[in-house]
Amino acid sequence: MSSPPLDLYGRPRADRFMRALTAFGDTYIPFSTRPCRRRTPAARTTPPLNLVVAARRTEADGVVSLRLAAPDGTRLPAWQPGAHLDLQLPSGRRRQYSLCGDPADRTAYRIAVRRIETGGGGSVEVHDDLPEGTRLTVKGPRNAFPFAAEPRVLLIAGGIGITPLLPMAREAARLGLDWRLVHTGRSRATLPFTDELRQLRGPVEILADDEHGIPDASDLLSRAQAGAAVYACGPGPMLDGVRAAFDDSPAAGLHFERFAPAPIRDGRPFELQLARSGRTLTVPADRSALDVLSEAVPAAAYSCRQGFCGVCRQRVLAGPVEHRDRRLTDAERTAGEMLVCVSRAPEGERLVLDL
Amino acid sequence: MSPAQPAAGFPDREHDNLVLEPRDVQFDWSRLPMHWIPGEPMATHTINVLHLLLPEGERWFVRVFKQALPLITDYRLREDVLGFIGQEAIHAEAHQGVVDHLLAKGLDPGPYLRQVEWLFHRVLGDRPEFSEERARQHVVERVAVIAAIEHFTAFLGDWVLNAHALDEAGSDPVMLDLLRWHGAEEVEHRSVAYDLLTHLDPGYVRRIRALGIALPVLLGLWVRGARFLMGADPQPAGRQRKATWRGYLAASRRGLVPGLGTGLRSATRYLKRGYHPTQEGSTRQAIAYLATSPAARAAH
Repeated sequence: MSSPPLDLYGRPRADRFMRALTAFGDTYIPFSTRPCRRRTPAARTTPPLNLVVAARRTEADGVVSLRLAAPDGTRLPAWQPGAHLDLQLPSGRRRQYSLCGDPADRTAYRIAVRRIETGGGGSVEVHDDLPEGTRLTVKGPRNAFPFAAEPRVLLIAGGIGITPLLPMAREAARLGLDWRLVHTGRSRATLPFTDELRQLRGPVEILADDEHGIPDASDLLSRAQAGAAVYACGPGPMLDGVRAAFDDSPAAGLHFERFAPAPIRDGRPFELQLARSGRTLTVPADRSALDVLSEAVPAAAYSCRQGFCGVCRQRVLAGPVEHRDRRLTDAERTAGEMLVCVSRAPEGERLVLDL
Repeated sequence: MSPAQPAAGFPDREHDNLVLEPRDVQFDWSRLPMHWIPGEPMATHTINVLHLLLPEGERWFVRVFKQALPLITDYRLREDVLGFIGQEAIHAEAHQGVVDHLLAKGLDPGPYLRQVEWLFHRVLGDRPEFSEERARQHVVERVAVIAAIEHFTAFLGDWVLNAHALDEAGSDPVMLDLLRWHGAEEVEHRSVAYDLLTHLDPGYVRRIRALGIALPVLLGLWVRGARFLMGADPQPAGRQRKATWRGYLAASRRGLVPGLGTGLRSATRYLKRGYHPTQEGSTRQAIAYLATSPAARAAH
């Protein structure tokens, strides 16, 4: 590509429009990139929030809610149903929890957490180590589950999955939408916010497994009005069931929260070597190459973290890559490309990256 | 992020703080007819220009935004930009699929694609001879051009989400889903490029001069693309064998392509000092569409 491409219609000369654009670019770009005398003002940044646990309450068996407020009582940033907070726990763990309070209450955020003994320890820490008065650093609110307020709405909650749906139900009631909510769980005693749901005086159905049996996804979806939008939040198997049964349901739209990438399967530890700086990084079995790389090279780009968008590609100069992505072609793999968000190396091997 | 104060009272209030994530969509083009708006080659090819421009254009967005990442000092904006990059990368590949299909059907888009490639690699590409400071300015300048283009992609996204005439004309449902999935994500992420620009350079001058460049170049590329595709179409239909302004205006009157007047009026809104992309289009409509889109629903 050393001269402008040919005319579109086969005339044997460089295309005039392209020639003009090239000449313009070659004049304009040096002009517009002159080092400016005036410094640009410092860019705005969003500081994280420093909040305090203002109140704790047991909402059901194994479920505690926290009210988080600014220590000086200032108004908090606004949020909309479906939004979540990113909490930095005192142990350093980071966890995301849906906001389940009232968006109109700008003095505090409410989250609710179910204790999971076999989880990563975040919920146990919230239950045991966050007494009233604890200070927390919080990022957010952000919304990965926005409520589009369609005219007909079915909300399906599994257990603690009620948290983002409760504000949606409130919003739907306030807007006068044709809405329904079904909340499923092991037993009534484990289901939080039953009273608050009842106060909405709407079509709310509580299905406890020990009374009604474990619900079937197509049965849950059969409650949808024709053309309705379904909002589902709950355990993975429930969501998988809803997605699989969706096409045969009367509903038209399905909203669910897309969670972070699946945990790494059969990962083995390996090493990354950065060719330009000579640094060597160790990737443990339970972390991705991207996680480790991002700490060393904060500007490394990525997006989907699931091996399909291709943004995180890096060039591998040496070493055997175990490709786990869905994106790269054979030619790209042969040329040494690798998606570091999912792909790895066999145990103990070293990948040399062109970085 | 938004400097514009949203109006009180949901749902009129625009959604804010959305987490942007790419969706792993797939489209099956095996049954796509050449004139996917039946009997409307002019309207079909006017929209087809997008398939030729977007793969290279959006890959260029990705390259420029990757270079902008180290300049971002706000963690939220950084998350937005990462989500934006992933969505744009998927858009590029989705449109590439249509280009490959056109080629298989006997329409060779090569001559036009070579020009698009030249534009995004050579004219707007990196300049290795630049000093670090100039390279930085070059990134910001190109972000400004992308912010202006994103104003139009959001305009087009809003248009296609509401273009009921395309349904009534019996358009191919897979193509409509591609256009509306893409349009909805453009509406969903319409603030990111603008917010990035104001983060790097809050000034009015750069924003406006970038519009002054992006608008005529886009229009020029579009007109040339429609003419080229009509000429290269191996199945010319009836009287419409050449791209004409008359043919375009007739199609736009019937709502099959966006109107030139509404597009230009939208450009004038970008000139306003109080402009923010959230004032254009509806996030609510975009996320409602994404919940029904066959491709987006099937995605991971």
